Amino acid sequence: MDYLCFRTLCCKGPPPPRAEYDLVCIGLTGSGKTSLLSRLCSEATDHIGPTTGFSIKAVPFQNAILNVKELGGADSIKKYWSRYYQGSQGVVFVLDSASSDEDLEMSRTELHSALQHPQLCTLPFLILANHQDKPAARTTQEIKKYFELEPLARGKSWILEGSSVDNIDAVKQSFTQLIELLEVKDQDTGRI
Amino acid sequence: MNGSNSRNNTAAAVKGPDADLGPAANSRERKSGGGVLKRLKSRRNQTDPQRPVVTESELRALDRDITPDDVLGLRAVTRDYLCKPEDNVYNIDFTRFKIRDLETGTVLFEIAKPPNCDPEYEDDGNGEGDTSAGRFVRYQFTPAFLRLRTVGATVEFTVGDQPVNSFRMIERHYFQDKVLKNFDFDFGFCIPNSRNTCEHIYEFPQLPEDLIRLMVEHPYETRSDSFYFVDNKLIMHNKADYAYDGGQ
Repeated sequence: MDYLCFRTLCCKGPPPPRAEYDLVCIGLTGSGKTSLLSRLCSEATDHIGPTTGFSIKAVPFQNAILNVKELGGADSIKKYWSRYYQGSQGVVFVLDSASSDEDLEMSRTELHSALQHPQLCTLPFLILANHQDKPAARTTQEIKKYFELEPLARGKSWILEGSSVDNIDAVKQSFTQLIELLEVKDQDTGRI
Repeated sequence: MNGSNSRNNTAAAVKGPDADLGPAANSRERKSGGGVLKRLKSRRNQTDPQRPVVTESELRALDRDITPDDVLGLRAVTRDYLCKPEDNVYNIDFTRFKIRDLETGTVLFEIAKPPNCDPEYEDDGNGEGDTSAGRFVRYQFTPAFLRLRTVGATVEFTVGDQPVNSFRMIERHYFQDKVLKNFDFDFGFCIPNSRNTCEHIYEFPQLPEDLIRLMVEHPYETRSDSFYFVDNKLIMHNKADYAYDGGQ
């Protein structure tokens, strides 16, 4: 806001529009995708139910707008995830750090699948180990190890961060890191 | 069927931040949305001077389905609907519409359809069902609405039991005989039996003061056509008109 006032006063005209990036947000049902994205958009989270299709949100950051297409994680929706991969520039993968072993294994399968999918394998990934506020939450170190991120994701750009709806500032920081990766990728491919 | 002036099923009066929800029961809300995949960025062209002008009569005379390219040439709101309610073979239903002022976070307007409401069988009070009752909404905003800068518009819609390969909306806004703005959103693929939402941030065009004054002084002469296409064929057409003299 201060920057905008300064520019207007100095008759320099409006600042250049922010870069926009198209992201896909996936993860099992209940991992917290909708809640996190709603909180990032300063929206209420008290009436949230399972997403039964897609939910597109434009999430504003200081130097970028992220157009996030969040996909429901229920089995009936999950099977269509790949229909939405084309055109994405980055992936946000959300997992419940406090889920059962069985669900964690399913989450790992899905993440591995996404990391290796031809339309996603060269894109930056932000992996959020969500529900860190729950007592049963595994640490990010444990998650990194269990998900085999270092051997598997070698050479791919990814960020793993713990997250919780109770600390949205930290989530914003994680997204800012993702934006940096997206900017680098944009420059690499010669796009403005 | 007169789409424009005479038909009025709901009057959703919005008076700034204290707006109450419009009558949700039998109304059909406006649609607006954002196609966000890179290949499908929303195109915010006002009018494209290169594009040949086409008239409503010419489109009606076509012996084939109307395509997105066809409606992009229109320079005036249509007098009547370009398709029938039964053309919506994919059973796409708009269930919620919301506008937020992103500078303050205030919800300016929200309208939602309760579940199990079927607009096709509404009784318009004359004892007759009116199958076009669900295709028109009348809005009344305050003049302040025209000075908003950044707004988030959320639309929610459900899809029937067939997958929709590509779903696209083109919405054209006019004041009197002038095109104000064109919105073009490509939702892409829609999962069968899904409920989908889309919030798009858009910046209002900065309207000249004299145009704002005219729009306030001429309620309901601001009108829009929303055209919906599946696989580039028109399957739905909704209309709305707008007043900006609310609260005065």
